[in-house]
Amino acid sequence: MAQSTYPLTLDTGQTGETHRKSAPGFGRGAVRLLRRFNLSTVVVIGALLFLIILPVGAFLIQGVSPRPFSQGTSWFTLGSLSQALSGATLRGFTDSIGVSAATSIIAFVLATGLAWLVSRTNVFGRRIWTLGIWALLLMPTYLMANGWQYLLEPAGVMQRLGLPLSFLYHLVFGPAGVVLVLTMAGLPFAYLTMLAAFNGLGQEFEDAAKVHGANRYQTVKAVLPILAPAVYSSLAIVFAESMSDFGVSFTLAHQSHFPMATFGLFAAIDTNPSNFGVAAILGWFLVLAAAIPIAIQARALRGRSYAVLSGRTRTPKRKELAPRARWGATACVSVLFIVALGIPIFGAVAASLLNNFGVGMSASHAFTLANYRQALTSSNFLSPILLSNRLSALTATFGVVLALFMAKMISSKGSSRFAKLVDLALLGSMALPGIVLAAGYIFAFNLPIASKLGVDFYETLPLLLMGYIATVLPSQSRLLMGPISQVKESLLEACRVHGHGIVKSWIKTVLPVLSRVLMWGWLYTFAKTLVELPVSQILYPPGNEPVSVAIENLTGNYHYAIGTALTVVTLIEMFGVIGIVLLAFRIFAPKGWQRIGGVTGAA
Amino acid sequence: MNSGSSKSTCSGRRNVVTVGLALAAAGIGLAACSSSPSNSATAGTTGGKVPLVVYSAQGYDKVETQAFQQATGIPVQLDDDSTGPLVTKIQAEKNNPKWGLLWVDGATVFASLDSQGMLVKNWEPSVSWDSTGQQSVPKDGSYIPTGLTMACAIVYDSSKVTNPPTTWNDLLQPQWKNEIGMNDPSVSGPTYPCVAGLMNSMGGVNQGENFLTQLQSNGLDVHETNGDTLQALEVGQIHIAMIQSSAEIGATLKGNSNLKVEYPTPVTALPSAIGIDAKAPATEIAEAKKFVSFVLSSQGQQVMQSGDPHGDSLYWPVINGVSPLPALPPLGSLPVQTIDPYTWGSREATINTWFTNNIA
Repeated sequence: MAQSTYPLTLDTGQTGETHRKSAPGFGRGAVRLLRRFNLSTVVVIGALLFLIILPVGAFLIQGVSPRPFSQGTSWFTLGSLSQALSGATLRGFTDSIGVSAATSIIAFVLATGLAWLVSRTNVFGRRIWTLGIWALLLMPTYLMANGWQYLLEPAGVMQRLGLPLSFLYHLVFGPAGVVLVLTMAGLPFAYLTMLAAFNGLGQEFEDAAKVHGANRYQTVKAVLPILAPAVYSSLAIVFAESMSDFGVSFTLAHQSHFPMATFGLFAAIDTNPSNFGVAAILGWFLVLAAAIPIAIQARALRGRSYAVLSGRTRTPKRKELAPRARWGATACVSVLFIVALGIPIFGAVAASLLNNFGVGMSASHAFTLANYRQALTSSNFLSPILLSNRLSALTATFGVVLALFMAKMISSKGSSRFAKLVDLALLGSMALPGIVLAAGYIFAFNLPIASKLGVDFYETLPLLLMGYIATVLPSQSRLLMGPISQVKESLLEACRVHGHGIVKSWIKTVLPVLSRVLMWGWLYTFAKTLVELPVSQILYPPGNEPVSVAIENLTGNYHYAIGTALTVVTLIEMFGVIGIVLLAFRIFAPKGWQRIGGVTGAA
Repeated sequence: MNSGSSKSTCSGRRNVVTVGLALAAAGIGLAACSSSPSNSATAGTTGGKVPLVVYSAQGYDKVETQAFQQATGIPVQLDDDSTGPLVTKIQAEKNNPKWGLLWVDGATVFASLDSQGMLVKNWEPSVSWDSTGQQSVPKDGSYIPTGLTMACAIVYDSSKVTNPPTTWNDLLQPQWKNEIGMNDPSVSGPTYPCVAGLMNSMGGVNQGENFLTQLQSNGLDVHETNGDTLQALEVGQIHIAMIQSSAEIGATLKGNSNLKVEYPTPVTALPSAIGIDAKAPATEIAEAKKFVSFVLSSQGQQVMQSGDPHGDSLYWPVINGVSPLPALPPLGSLPVQTIDPYTWGSREATINTWFTNNIA
């Protein structure tokens, strides 16, 4: 309470009591309060309020209080909660919890093994596996699920090739398949966490254990607790990612009659009759399910010291595996990547090359390029790709610029309370699933008050673009905070002393240092937005389907020819753009830009 | 000197931040506007014409709207989706409607919207209705029929089903366990009238719910739409499907000679219809009326009959002078029932919710 009235009291020199009695005094106080902030702070807070906090807040609040937004007569009701805790929605939620728990544990085990092999042994193809992890990080879950589906469904690719594999079909089209795809999707998060931990863990701890006579098992037992922060982080991140995933629940899980929470939320606002109250309660569940593990992880680590990095940390020795073990380990890693990336990609490519795919076994089937010929002449093919490219480029550009300023504001020396508040809001927003954000947009920007205020964005491309930017802003801002805080102010000041203007100074001093991280931030945002599904599915305006929606609509309506060709072309384009930008950076960027800055592990 | 320099830098930094944010915000606005060519092409008025926003679940809607746009110059913005999501969208937009007209299957949907005062009333295009059309036009002129199909019949794989069910109750026999599929009425437009028709013919909601519960115990496989259920039938996941007649007949024409259609007594008449948003601007309402007249013109009917030859084009016309496609059986030979759209339309939300919680 004291904190909430603090700025008002400080600025006016009067008590809050006096303010309530005197309206003009309050007005002056508000003006003075506003003057305390520079315009950039107001714009940053305004952007956060407008893009994330207000729409999502309004949506979530009406789950228990529908009256403020004219969605019902009650100021407070638990009716939606009770509906959400019954039937298919409850089952969806418990399914999601179970799947996410299984996924986080399996991904952790696999990622730990992989990270150890890549960082600590001479397993073959270490650079390839690192590239594979980044490719996996960019691969959307619905395309992975589609790939498995094309391959194994009745009359699918394998059956066409004379290998029915019906036992695998029954296995994959159910909870096991959902866990499989989500585990592979969570693998990069767990891997990067564990890799950083292994890289930071010096050789001395293992040596110390061995000096004391520890065998291999005892060494692992002694060293493992030091990795606790990474273990907690890995489990929490993969759990949160799986809970908030929409791609698998919308495709594989739904087709397998295995309800999940994110699809439950989507169905609540997309089927007749809609129920925004139940959707909001599911939104609460999803936000809490993502936030709680992260909070528990933070609490578990509080008060303990896991600091192992120092100037004397010795680079760990790479273990020389015996030839047989080396080949065995390489084979295991290969199998992992074949399952994670190879099979889904093969499924999509093979399906796109089969004639009459999806028409049943009675139709003729042979390998052909007819699907691509048909696709290239169809308006269903090119317009979604062009639209998604445009939106992704805009999202990446403006998302990175906005994130840059937010990161700068938060990481400035002596940052204000509001900067800390913005930081907290961004951190909280990272736990916000895209589906909840999109549902919030549909709800808030369709309210009559939005139209009255002139914010008539409902069912328009600007709203979709805002949704995309709001999705990437929290993570991008947090990502840029580290590099930005490392840039010394004196760089800029030195340049200004030499007579350059502020913009030129920034370009000459700060941009070179940040160029690589900005490029990686742009590329990651571009690629993720290009194939983004939940926000696209809910917010696309009529007649303007982004590529993810077009793929799902085409394959959902059994227009496999164009749908599978579009999938393959989109993937080629996504990775192609990354390759071209990296190449252009290498060719055109000054050498100095290429030597400094960047994201560890990303380059 | 120092403090001055620091102050100047600090102020400069603020300026950069401010200018950058302002540029970014302005850029987003501009870019967003410029990034929607298809929207902006249709968003502005063209010679007094406003974009006609068409919400439709018809297979031929894309070609029909293109033909209309070409014939009249009126820009059309089409939102093609399943009936459930479209109706949900319309309900969500109730206070701030974006749609101009809705074109889906099932009079119950329109009766429900009409009861909420959401449709333009007392208007009928000047066409010559045939007897089917005359029966389908509502008394208050709140929606306009454009064709007729059956809400659900039975399509089966004759290579697996040699002795097909001929009545709805036959579907409860243990021999069909785990072999029957149908659509979800909360998503698929024709399926609520199918469910309502079953309930109507069986004596009421309770009897119908009892039948569906038994069907579910017999392994009923529920998919979202006609396409999903047909796919399950074609790949052998199920052997019998209860879906819309046009999708069933279309499937038999696609080359799978094993698929056969059976019309158990009774099958429920399902008019496809157009309703016009009562809250749309007057210009858009006038354009919507032109659209209806175009759809029912000989050119419009030709497009309807050719736009989706394996699906929605397989309808029985409702105006004189247009013959059904050859693949359709004579309408008079079918055991057709008609349900009261206003009675069953008001029950749609409750019955769909029951279906979602108990059957799907």
